[in-house]
Amino acid sequence: MRKHFDLLSKRMVEMSKKIRKVTSATPSVLIGGAGGFWGDRTYAPVDMLTHNDLDYITMDYLAEVTMSIMSKSYSSNPKLGWATDLERWLKKGGISLLREKGVRLVTNAGGVNPVSCAQMVLDVACSIGWTNCQVAVVTGDNVLSILHSSAKEGEQFQHMFDKSKEPLLHHDEIIAANAYLGAGPIGRSIAKGADIVITGRVADASLIVGCMLHASGWAQNAENESLPICGPIHSWSEKEEQESLDLLAGWSVAGHLIECGAQVCGGNFTNLPANVDISDISYPIAKISFDGSSIIMKSKGGGIVNRASVIEQLLYEIDDPSNYITPDVIVDISMISIEELGDNQVKVSSVSGRIPPERLKISSCYHDAYFITSQLLVPGPEPLAKAQQTDKILRKRVAHLKDIIIETEFFGAGASLPLGLRKLLDKTTNSNPREILVRWGVSSTNRQSLNVFASEIAPLVLTGPAGVSGYSARSKPRKQLAFFPTSIGRKHVEEQVEITFIHTLRSEIEERYPWLKRNVTTRIDNVMMNSDSRTKLAVARVIRRRLHMPRIWKAVN
Amino acid sequence: MKTKRVYLRELAHARSGDKGDLVNIALIAHDEEAFEILKQGITTEILKSWFEGWTEGPFEIYSIESIHSLNCIIHNVLQGGGTTSRRLDAQGKALGQALLQAWIEV
Repeated sequence: MRKHFDLLSKRMVEMSKKIRKVTSATPSVLIGGAGGFWGDRTYAPVDMLTHNDLDYITMDYLAEVTMSIMSKSYSSNPKLGWATDLERWLKKGGISLLREKGVRLVTNAGGVNPVSCAQMVLDVACSIGWTNCQVAVVTGDNVLSILHSSAKEGEQFQHMFDKSKEPLLHHDEIIAANAYLGAGPIGRSIAKGADIVITGRVADASLIVGCMLHASGWAQNAENESLPICGPIHSWSEKEEQESLDLLAGWSVAGHLIECGAQVCGGNFTNLPANVDISDISYPIAKISFDGSSIIMKSKGGGIVNRASVIEQLLYEIDDPSNYITPDVIVDISMISIEELGDNQVKVSSVSGRIPPERLKISSCYHDAYFITSQLLVPGPEPLAKAQQTDKILRKRVAHLKDIIIETEFFGAGASLPLGLRKLLDKTTNSNPREILVRWGVSSTNRQSLNVFASEIAPLVLTGPAGVSGYSARSKPRKQLAFFPTSIGRKHVEEQVEITFIHTLRSEIEERYPWLKRNVTTRIDNVMMNSDSRTKLAVARVIRRRLHMPRIWKAVN
Repeated sequence: MKTKRVYLRELAHARSGDKGDLVNIALIAHDEEAFEILKQGITTEILKSWFEGWTEGPFEIYSIESIHSLNCIIHNVLQGGGTTSRRLDAQGKALGQALLQAWIEV
């Protein structure tokens, strides 16, 4: 492994030399960020492709909680577990635009099931006659199957922030565990000819850094087949090496700024000017240079990009600004320069980088408990007093349930404020709500207790304080997954990272062997997702060779 | 010396987000003068008092001079994280706006 890093470090030096040469000829690269989460507006990527001449378009679908949600759907149907929004916009004209304009798409839409997602993409491409569309899928982020084997080699899987918590493997039902991959496999996929790159969990900004690794020529230089996940880890001292790290850091910041979609263009923005319309809000485009600086701008449409909107997004979901850790580089933004150029363009520069840590972050989740929510409307006069009385009555009626935890919130009376601040404001300001929405969030390891709790909500309309209303159907307990951040040594993950080009449609497999329709494709996905690398590779090869059933059968069994 | 109440919204704009069980709240001062007031007034003690009953912390505050910003980190505040919180604002997205309603004495 060390050898790869040595190789990489040499290459990084070559790259920085090369980049300085190309600076004048190719001043910058245009990368769009057309989605910030699974569920974001699907018109955005189509709109962005229509109105701009991009080099790459990136879509980040994975918030921390998304992998948990996808794991749930994957466990109920092995064809799911990826961001289905991707299919929607590709079919709405997105796929034709990608082809006509020659824009490469890089997305983590694969979620916990990137192979099925990539098969869908190839299906859609073939439906418009783009039969030679090169769809690459990056796998290897799923570490569920190697948790126990790497634990034997000394991995602890302690909680990343709170060492007093039980380690991950002490929990029974671990649903998903995915390492954050870096930009390396993405850059390499494009260098190998991918038009579309589908990944599972990669660090958000790495989607963009991956495009830059290709645009700068670095990824093409990597002769060795096994590509490190990200930047080198051993210490450098040369000035040039520092320059390379600064480049990765600059690109990561550009990536961080556009990976949440319209949040940098006036969405979720405190200082939105009154005359700026965000009903047709634009999504961002980064014009990224080979000196590590970038210009953040917007697509055609509403919204605004200014210094303030860029700073709000810059600080979104980060902790120590001098130590922002990605798999590719540690980013230091404590000296950052943000300069408004006018016309919705903001220049970002002066970012520095350090060698990334040896360990990769893992986001994992385990089945923790069950959860239920209920709400009721309590009207005035004196709505807060009545709502509190309603809560008291309810709690008395369910007092025999010893294994539930109830959180009551009174909306309209400051429920969105942290408790200490709420009390302070209550003392000094005269808030006079007209009505209160009271909401109960209840968790328990015992599903039945939650059913009993839920059955006590509707009766409050007839047996509670006057005017209580707003009851809808009785809510059903749903599984609650606890998020558990931890880390793993790089070598365990590097060994299983693979780039596979998808060439066979699921429909072809099913058409040829209809009697296998239900079981085998499902099992193939399972094998692809969960098996050790050797089996997975075997299955992938077989699929690539347009099927040889006995071999698949052998591999599956 | 007599002090006066200054609301955070007069000094700064804000955005909050989550990471596991922590929330970060960025307070971005409107100008240099506001930033100086903010740096004086926003302490881990005052954050602790505002979040009393929700979390014991720890609390961290990072100052980024070149962009006149404070990044406030509040640990152990989401009842385990976005997937296990029993609150409607499970990811603390509203907390940035919540803080803009607070004041400090200067």
